[in-house]
Amino acid sequence: MDAPLYPPARAFVMPRRLPRLLDTKDTAIADLKAIPQAWAIVEAEIPNIEGRIGNEIIKPHLGNFSFRSLLQFGVVKPDALDRIDQRLKALGER
Amino acid sequence: MASDFLSTHRRNVLVMAAVTAMGGVPITAGAANAKGRPAAEPGGRRQPFDEDWRFMQGDQTGAESLAWDDTGWRSVDLPHDWSIEDLPEQTPGAVVGPFDKRSIGGTATGFTNGGEGWYRKHFRVDSYPSDARIEIVFDAAYLMTDVWLNGRNVGGSVAGYAPFALDLTPHLDRLGNNVIAVRVRNLGRNSRWYSGSGLYRSVELDILHPASRVERWGVAAWTSKLENGRAVVDVSSEVVGPEKGDTLRSRLVEPDGRIAAEVSTPATAVTRQALHLRGPRLWSAEHPELYSLETELVRGGIVLDRLVQPYGIRIIAFDAAKGMTVNGERVKLKGGCLHHDNGLLGACAYPDADKRRLRLLKARGFNAIRSSHNPSSRSLREACDRIGMFLIEEAFDAWLISKEPQDFAQQFPEHWHTVIDAMVRSARNSPSVIMWSIGNEIPFRSTDEGVEWQWKLANAVKHLDPTRPVTAGLNGVLGSQLIAGVETARPGRAGKVDNASTVFLDVPGYNYRLEDIAAEQTAHPERVVYASETFARDLYDYQALQDKAPYFLGEFLWTAMDYLGEAGIGATARLKNGAYPIYLPGFPWVNAWCGDIDLIGEQKASSLARDVVWGVSDLEIWVRRPGPEGTFEYVSNWGWPDELASWSWPGSEGRMLGVVVHAAGDTVEVHLNGRPVGSKELGPSDRRRAEFQIPYAPGKLEAFSYRAGRRIAHKALETVGAASRIQIVPERLDAGAGRGALSYFRIEIVDAQGRVLPDDRRRIDLVIDGPASLAAFGSASPLATGSFQSASTESYRGRALLIIRGNGQRGTVRIHARSAGLKGGGVTVAMA
Repeated sequence: MDAPLYPPARAFVMPRRLPRLLDTKDTAIADLKAIPQAWAIVEAEIPNIEGRIGNEIIKPHLGNFSFRSLLQFGVVKPDALDRIDQRLKALGER
Repeated sequence: MASDFLSTHRRNVLVMAAVTAMGGVPITAGAANAKGRPAAEPGGRRQPFDEDWRFMQGDQTGAESLAWDDTGWRSVDLPHDWSIEDLPEQTPGAVVGPFDKRSIGGTATGFTNGGEGWYRKHFRVDSYPSDARIEIVFDAAYLMTDVWLNGRNVGGSVAGYAPFALDLTPHLDRLGNNVIAVRVRNLGRNSRWYSGSGLYRSVELDILHPASRVERWGVAAWTSKLENGRAVVDVSSEVVGPEKGDTLRSRLVEPDGRIAAEVSTPATAVTRQALHLRGPRLWSAEHPELYSLETELVRGGIVLDRLVQPYGIRIIAFDAAKGMTVNGERVKLKGGCLHHDNGLLGACAYPDADKRRLRLLKARGFNAIRSSHNPSSRSLREACDRIGMFLIEEAFDAWLISKEPQDFAQQFPEHWHTVIDAMVRSARNSPSVIMWSIGNEIPFRSTDEGVEWQWKLANAVKHLDPTRPVTAGLNGVLGSQLIAGVETARPGRAGKVDNASTVFLDVPGYNYRLEDIAAEQTAHPERVVYASETFARDLYDYQALQDKAPYFLGEFLWTAMDYLGEAGIGATARLKNGAYPIYLPGFPWVNAWCGDIDLIGEQKASSLARDVVWGVSDLEIWVRRPGPEGTFEYVSNWGWPDELASWSWPGSEGRMLGVVVHAAGDTVEVHLNGRPVGSKELGPSDRRRAEFQIPYAPGKLEAFSYRAGRRIAHKALETVGAASRIQIVPERLDAGAGRGALSYFRIEIVDAQGRVLPDDRRRIDLVIDGPASLAAFGSASPLATGSFQSASTESYRGRALLIIRGNGQRGTVRIHARSAGLKGGGVTVAMA
């Protein structure tokens, strides 16, 4: 049996990002926020959203959390997210 | 002098004592083997430097100078953590023991304070060779640390958890008094958990040859092959100042001192060697077989430098088809996250305390810990090596973006490499270390900048140790899809779709992503993953996933043990019916209360459940605490309902109580006072759990577990009587007399029949007489109830814990405990 190795790579070149559909499951909240049309949809469906995600503990994680990953913490409700997802589809791939 | 690993093997202690190598007074290399080694000379590596420091808290302008009058300073031995000491001006309800309602850290640090502290130590070096290079080695200090020798600044550290070494040589007084002065500042809001403050880990001196030595942490050993009953261990050793004719000798030594393998080659700046063993004893968490890896730099038959470190021969591999294999055997991780504090001892990294933590966890079926979210102490890591516990070492809780205003993100751009270097190089020979984590829940890790840092950090690790996978703890989502090119990608991953958060990780760790793990495997069948943080309530689901999914390595519970700080993240609370189900703990909550094991080492209800699901026990029974009428129980995500293995609920007679049974069998029965009161067949959807509503009546509540009609287990809870006396139970019979040795005693409130009162709180006072001092005394209460360092505390759930520390003298220690209205308890222990 030979032991595995995890050799370093040679150089960093920024990987190529693939376009994707926006949604509330896999898209980070910060990514939605960075797209005015997407964020307008969010604000329309959850009017007090800034208050819900504005506390100091959550703020650093907006780049990691999607809205659906916050469901377990009770920050948002699933029915609102379903509506947001429907409307985000119309924005196409980003 | 000897490492903890060696100190328990008498023959190796003797060997070590005989072969301490040094600069100007070298020893003959020919004798440097298990037999006939020369008498010990002063010097060599790992000289103890923990005793007889002086300490003063607060700003001390000028205290770095040699002439500073420190006679009024307090005498302390290391490890030392001033944040766990009682605060001045105790004020009921506001300042309680070390806890301060106004603490800047608030719930994050468990309402403890930092500040500034100064340490000074006087020492002489005239017993060492006059030309020796002398380095001081801190296993870590929290936080901002500046070090002076005889008034001259010699360096410092900003990292908090990373070991660092400083060269004292240029400013030493070879014949007179020397003073090391250390200023440690723990200022602002810099931590999300209890950090402690000061020199909370060990400090040592390395006495070295003036010009030639093995580089600090410069030895990297790696078991590259296991085949036909043989092992090959590749060793790379960095040598400073090698000269022509120098030899680098590496050997693996059995615990009894026999040499298992040895190789000598000419020493070069980087010396590569291979050790070949026949019939190697293999290391695993289940069978932690260890060798000593000895490295010697030899010149003209003289040993100039000598390092000894524990080493285990093992090959650990990961792939999606088999999961994790250890020496070819599939092993699932039954893991727990651990913060670094040692409960009542604060952050102090005593080897005995670290070993105890691991023993407690091992007894509950854990085989792995994640050192969250920082590099672990040497004492914890070496305990993992020796006791058998897989270890994930973690470098950071933040990269560029802060989670707390003054946290390491402020230092990260300038000092990230120092942390990576110290973490990896100092620990890469520990067999327990299975992965390197480059971060936990790193904010904005999936941006372009975050992806580039992921690559930088992962590859920095791989340059130092390409033998272990790189991981990280990932919460939330994994970021957009991307494709890395051949120069940048991990081997085999160029041109393939990955996610921004995982693209440069060999084994991603998922925090609270239970629902995503199986679903994601369709898109990424190549991934081998584990749950780097989990909620206790998901215990059964993780076990089920582990059982069916080879690519899923297992879980790391948040957390295996209670810890100070993040106060109340596992809280439960009774709220009025109809109230919004949220509870925000504040003072006097001081510990996290999310551990399976509480702050003093006792099992909580979640641990009993885990015992059954993990196969440690076939049956456990406990009871939901009845709440006031008109209320409901709020349980935080990291919490567990307020449940207790108790059938003593005075005042609840006749009331229906929730009785919870976890069982390995297919049927459970519950009897009260000899009469059946409930039974249930357990199917897969029951998750090994049955709950019964049973009217409370004092007496005996029994549970029985059956499999295919055959009784496999029986457990009983009895209503206890009134508190009668205190009993003191030593955890071990061999109390250590050394100044760093700890001994643990469980203090229990018992009834006339000797049964612990499971929910009792009362004041207990101690008297300790003999050659030992009180290191800590307290309970598992998640609330601030008082000092951890006085001889008085309040029991919680009928128990408290006493920890005493030897003072270097042998003798008899008598401990007496008393409480108003109870018969006192006593114990006598021999400190040897």
